[in-house]
Amino acid sequence: MKPILQLTAIQKSFGAVRALKGVSFELLPGEVHALLGENGAGKSTLIKVITGAHQPDGGKLIVAGVEVSHLTPAKARELGIACIYQQPALFPDLTVAENIGLRLKKTGALSRIRWASQRTLAVELLHRIGAEISPDAEVGSLSMPEQQLVEIACALGSGARIVIMDEPTASLTQKEQHLLFKVVHDLRASGVGVVYISHRLEEIFALADRVTVLRDGESVGTNPVADLSEAAMIKLMVGREVSSIYPPATGEPGAVVLALKNLGCAASGVSGVTLDVRAGEIVGMAGLVGAGRTELARILFGITPADAGEIGLNGEQISISNPREAIAHGIAYVPEDRRRHGVILEMPIAHNMTMAIHPKIFPGTWLRFGAENLLACEFIRDLGIKAYGPDAPGGSLSGGNQQKVSVARWLATKPKLLILDEPTQGVDVGAKSEIHKIIRELAREGLAVLMISSDLPEVLGMSDRVAVMRGGKLVEMIAKENADAHTVMAAALGTNGKDAA
Amino acid sequence: MSSTRSFSIKSLLARHETVLVLVILLEVLLFQTLGKNFLVGKNLSNVFRHSVEIGLLAVAMTPVILTGGIDLSVGSMMGLCAVLFGMMVNRFGLPPYLAGLVAVLFGALGGGMNAVLITRLNLPPLIVTLGTFSLFRGLAEALTKGAESYSGFPKSFLALGNADLAGLPAQIWVFFAVAAAIWLMVHQTTLGRSFRAIGYASEGARYAGIPVARNTSLAYIIAGAVAGLAAVILVARLGEARANAGIGYELLAITAVVLGGVSIFGGSGTVAGTLLGWIALAILNNGLTRISDYRIMDQPVASVARELSGLLTGLLLLAALAIGATMKALAIRRARKQSLSKTTPNPAIS
Repeated sequence: MKPILQLTAIQKSFGAVRALKGVSFELLPGEVHALLGENGAGKSTLIKVITGAHQPDGGKLIVAGVEVSHLTPAKARELGIACIYQQPALFPDLTVAENIGLRLKKTGALSRIRWASQRTLAVELLHRIGAEISPDAEVGSLSMPEQQLVEIACALGSGARIVIMDEPTASLTQKEQHLLFKVVHDLRASGVGVVYISHRLEEIFALADRVTVLRDGESVGTNPVADLSEAAMIKLMVGREVSSIYPPATGEPGAVVLALKNLGCAASGVSGVTLDVRAGEIVGMAGLVGAGRTELARILFGITPADAGEIGLNGEQISISNPREAIAHGIAYVPEDRRRHGVILEMPIAHNMTMAIHPKIFPGTWLRFGAENLLACEFIRDLGIKAYGPDAPGGSLSGGNQQKVSVARWLATKPKLLILDEPTQGVDVGAKSEIHKIIRELAREGLAVLMISSDLPEVLGMSDRVAVMRGGKLVEMIAKENADAHTVMAAALGTNGKDAA
Repeated sequence: MSSTRSFSIKSLLARHETVLVLVILLEVLLFQTLGKNFLVGKNLSNVFRHSVEIGLLAVAMTPVILTGGIDLSVGSMMGLCAVLFGMMVNRFGLPPYLAGLVAVLFGALGGGMNAVLITRLNLPPLIVTLGTFSLFRGLAEALTKGAESYSGFPKSFLALGNADLAGLPAQIWVFFAVAAAIWLMVHQTTLGRSFRAIGYASEGARYAGIPVARNTSLAYIIAGAVAGLAAVILVARLGEARANAGIGYELLAITAVVLGGVSIFGGSGTVAGTLLGWIALAILNNGLTRISDYRIMDQPVASVARELSGLLTGLLLLAALAIGATMKALAIRRARKQSLSKTTPNPAIS
């Protein structure tokens, strides 16, 4: 079979930085080809070369047997290349049908919109990918995954032969993931070539035919997925053997730090949560997206205060009505959305790190730049943050290092309870295991840790106990010995037949 | 890499403040060559005497804009406070210093009203202060029935607007005190730090435990109070309190702030920048009135100075914004290149 897309020795430099050092890649029709690599390995740059956003400095790009010398985004679309990004680029105030129509119909500024045919087209495309979305719904009212499906419908409608998916499942629930997988299977069956990027190895095993691993701007090999084990894949990515992926638990947990009794908040759909977290213990929190885990964290942090039940901290009954009170009580929350809530990207990392401890480090409100710098340098050293210094703006760091800055901000508060929400989402494998080590080390030092994660291996590998939420309620508490992928997933999905048993 | 960077000429030139200093020098040079008696002590002190009110509004506007907000109501607030001040002194016989204090407090109250609407009801600052912009001016006009004005203030009070103190216009000293206080607040306190955080990402600031509503409110309250103070100084300079005091001043103040390099989207900017922006505007306005030997469209420049200064202010502002945006685009491109180099050594560690 002839490849539908062939890249040979593609090079791309930004100033002195060589982002791609001669990468070769090929995609066959009817193939799902996974692209793997740590953040900064060159995946995004490669994608941008394929979609015409970047011009390569060297190498050949052949689409459907024809060499393309000067690819622009418009030309790429004409050639049938479509890219579905993590954050769909749709118009939130227009309906689904209008968005699809806008994307697919080339019309002049004054040409008429044919509403009926536009709607029919939308219905047909949505049906083809099995999405249960009304074509008349406003896109802004759709969930992120639904918006992704609309994007896929657009790609399909444009007759794309090459579809690139950049971490499409990052925000999907289990059910939506299955739907997406089915769509990918259908695309493959109809002869479309799919380039699939994901940090979740299990997805790559489930979906991909072949996998190409990038490391430091170079391709370190293309292999059939069936020939690789998970460990082998990780080894290719990081270039070293990751012997024990998760640091082991040590010692017995101490006294109860956090004790929740029938906690609830009607506004955020959480009710009747009863849970203990002990000092030195990591309680993993599993569940589907939308099960109420982040909502529970937001209650504990005072963003959406509780309206029912009790919160006990170190044996004392407390109420938390805003984040400042939570911080004063020794509760720290590393939020899920790092770029919006975790780190202020424009501000220096030193400022980010002291942001939650203003009253402590700057008594009397006067800034003390020396003390701030010192603290930042300590955290940069202790957490191994890669940055050119405490003045580096948060946005200049890679995802994993941003996450470490976010963690540092909360460690600076010297908390008793640390709540982590998806601590390694969008973080590359190397930084991921470093963050895991940091979390375990913190627990060892006596911190109570509540770790929300949708990454099942992470939950299983890190947790001393696993709490499973479903529909705003805590439905299961699973001890480490009994926690495996099956029991946790079953509890999250509600298919374990607990009531029957 | 990082330690030498902050001292290089290139980065000095990239600083907005440096560009403004050059603009100011250029203005001075131009007006000194073309105009009459520009760099004379008396005139120079007049430049600042006549623009102190706008300077006050501009420095107090800086924290508001840093939080990502804006306050269009300060000019109208000046009108209202001026009228109230005039009434208190003239009709109720309050001593000027007491009436001045009340005017400042009243300004703070008006700022507080903006703050409540913006932070508690989550209304956009532009719309809220557009509303109070009309409201305050309307109140001022209603109080004076559209025509009355107050004058006949004691000489000792008028000195604040017209006398010199230690060789400088008396009101400049008030301005220095306010500017220094706001500089300290913005650059040396946690409050100022929080303004930036709120301007960059108000949700992010909330997640870090910063009292976003309270601190944002403070910025508007301070802006209102300073508008009250500016009203008192204006009355002292003109010897008359009218409802139309400070018309259009809010736009001039915002122009000075933005010209000074404070991002209208919030987060970045300095009080020093605002001061330079204000000086550049003040010199432009005065300098044109000094050019009587040259004609433009058959009119002596000085006689159309007002019109011309509006035009040039607009051009200067747009040019400054364009330069700023270009600089930023270049900086982003540089930063992107930098972030791609994963192997950058960390001098903080080694």
